[in-house]
Amino acid sequence: MKGSKWIIWAAVAVVGVVIVVLLSSGGASSGTITNARLLELQAEGARLVDVRTEGEFAAGYIPGAENIPLGALMIAAESWDRTQPVILYCAVGDRSAEGMRLLASMGFERVYDLPTGIAQWDGQIAGRPAVADAGDVAATNGLPVLYEFYTDW
Amino acid sequence: MVDRLKTEYEGIVEFRLINVEADPQGSALMAQYNAQYVPTFVFLNSDGSQSTIVVGAQSEDVLRSALDALK
Repeated sequence: MKGSKWIIWAAVAVVGVVIVVLLSSGGASSGTITNARLLELQAEGARLVDVRTEGEFAAGYIPGAENIPLGALMIAAESWDRTQPVILYCAVGDRSAEGMRLLASMGFERVYDLPTGIAQWDGQIAGRPAVADAGDVAATNGLPVLYEFYTDW
Repeated sequence: MVDRLKTEYEGIVEFRLINVEADPQGSALMAQYNAQYVPTFVFLNSDGSQSTIVVGAQSEDVLRSALDALK
């Protein structure tokens, strides 16, 4: 009988440990999201983070986003509530995917990534300079345009 | 790498490579897009609207993704 009690208690302890591990593992609600889902999560109180550089952010960002370049993300996130959902985005999804991995490794329970980035954002853009000011030089000729600004050094 | 993309996207996307030190309009154009560093890549849709801006040296995959997102 004593032996049976011990086995039962041992089983209960094992189950308890498994439950605790599962609950603390987090990330069950993390993953990639659509533009529409981003707006829903934002309305529910998720933190929206733009992990691009300051220069990229200054040229336009998703309304409500705070700019924390990827290199500074972990330091900034140290003081955040790890139970608050966090949404990350960048230009085309590479940096935000890395950011999602970093925050998950820090124990954040709900981290989301916009894999298509601001490049395919179909909502409002805040802070964008008016292209109409470009004049003839910046006008397109019926085709999309890629400008590369560079120097020789 | 950009030259290779330029050839591949010929007729699909117009590439404008601006040496900001040699081109007198380059600095003004760069300032207009609030670009502070080089290289900076500004992607414009065919209607002139800005699609995205990417700052710094990038992998071909990143540039290709941004090019494919243009309308």
